[in-house]
Amino acid sequence: MKARTASLLLMAPALLLLAAVFLYPLLRYGWLSFQASSVLTGLEPVPNGGANWGRLLDDARFWTDAFQTLRFAVCSVALELVGGLGLALLLHRPLRGRGTLRALTLLPWALPTTVMALGWRWILNDPHGPLNAAIRSLGGSSYGFLSTPATTWFFVVLADVWKTLPFVALLLLAGLQTIPEDLEEALRLEGAGRLQILRRLTLPLLVPYLALALLFRLAQALGVFDLIQVLSGGGPAGSTESLALYAYLNAMRFLDFGYAATVMLATFLLLLVLLGGGWWLWRRGDLQGRREGAA
Amino acid sequence: MRLLVLLWSLGPLLWQLRTSLLRPEALVAPLLEGNPWTLANYQLVLSGDPPFWRYLGNSTLVALATTLLTLLLAVPCAYGLQQQRGLLRWGVGLGLVGAAMFPTVLLFLALLEIARRFGLANDLLALSLPYAGLSLPLAVLLLRAAFADLPTELEDAARLEGLGLGQRLRHVLLPLLGPALASTGILVFLASWNEYAIALTWISRNDLLTLPIAIARIGGGSVFTIPYGAFAAATVLGSLPLLLLVLVAQRPIVSGLTRGAVKG
Repeated sequence: MKARTASLLLMAPALLLLAAVFLYPLLRYGWLSFQASSVLTGLEPVPNGGANWGRLLDDARFWTDAFQTLRFAVCSVALELVGGLGLALLLHRPLRGRGTLRALTLLPWALPTTVMALGWRWILNDPHGPLNAAIRSLGGSSYGFLSTPATTWFFVVLADVWKTLPFVALLLLAGLQTIPEDLEEALRLEGAGRLQILRRLTLPLLVPYLALALLFRLAQALGVFDLIQVLSGGGPAGSTESLALYAYLNAMRFLDFGYAATVMLATFLLLLVLLGGGWWLWRRGDLQGRREGAA
Repeated sequence: MRLLVLLWSLGPLLWQLRTSLLRPEALVAPLLEGNPWTLANYQLVLSGDPPFWRYLGNSTLVALATTLLTLLLAVPCAYGLQQQRGLLRWGVGLGLVGAAMFPTVLLFLALLEIARRFGLANDLLALSLPYAGLSLPLAVLLLRAAFADLPTELEDAARLEGLGLGQRLRHVLLPLLGPALASTGILVFLASWNEYAIALTWISRNDLLTLPIAIARIGGGSVFTIPYGAFAAATVLGSLPLLLLVLVAQRPIVSGLTRGAVKG
């Protein structure tokens, strides 16, 4: 009994800080989302009886952003999983200089997002960036990559994949390291090719790691903020704006804190429904598969 | 294959390096005469007001303070959590996993209110408070996994020797946690060095900006007015410490992420 009390005391400082940083904001948003707190009220909270939530349901910009955020997250995470698997398989092979190779491929993940977002803006610059210089030297003419929605969206996804692919690769590399080599050897002796080994042995054993990477990356990608703010500013014409950026603009540009809190809480709830629902479906499929396997 | 991977990972960075070494005129059109290479961009960035190394110093200070604070809080918490049984252990563990995945940008508004109420804005050391809070979930999970790996006989023996809780932690358990502490510390350091949304809203004084904010500000104008040479020089200078860190600490970083994936 005494040991348990002591261990609770050991946990207390960390749990208090965690509550202040994670729990308090959610409770505060819950309260703030039922207040008008903007320039119109002199930035003082005044109860407005759920008007924020009514406004949210009718807010076309919110739902457009929700769709755009989801599209961004699904596309970039899918690419990251495929590319990350390839990179992990490469980094797992016993190569000369593997440590240095791992470190150098890790570098994009270790750099601040904003730094490389600006780097990409220079690469895509019209007309002086290297991409346009290359197009011109091939006889084409300069193109405003960041002034049409489709190309802007494409490069936002590309920049995100570039930055987070090493992280996914490392998670999957962790999974690869748990697969005993004799299993692979046994399959090879049976005459299985590399693709067959991948399909029959590696991928099934990687499923928990793929699921972890998927869950983690989806949550992060659905909250995408700094990359979009710096690379495209949400433009052109709001076509790459994300939910987090919209929430930020509501708070810091429109100074509408009540509505900003509503948008943030709604984003969190959407995230919870999506991930929770996905998790539930996966578990159900998993259990069903096992039951069928047993039957 | 290796070359392709390296080109993909390092290409955009190498282009920044090239840009940073070119004269501004050479960026716009091929020079007809004279040497296009210059170090002027670096001079410009390093002699700015405040000079660029100031931002590097700010980021380092915040990241070091955060790492220290996080480890100080996370080690006892991980140990305590490992001692717990039943609902509390399960609940706290689940909460930590949820918090580790939470997109932190959604927290900035409430945290900014706290900063304003308690006068914490524009204070680099105070910034390490929310940073430590954000880093705690991952740090506690990683360290708990490390504690779980230690043989229980060891602590039992120390307890029979009459060592108190504090002594056991300090003299018996912590020395064995060295590698886990190193990899956790490096991951926390990287995360707080790179944090954006909270630093953006907490810090407004020019000489206190952290590196990611300072660089975003250099590029803050319209696309046409960004001084790309100077900006590229800033990028290169800002990347060098991280490049060194990744090269030196590749092993603990990989093992930290790996352990997190295996145990989490």
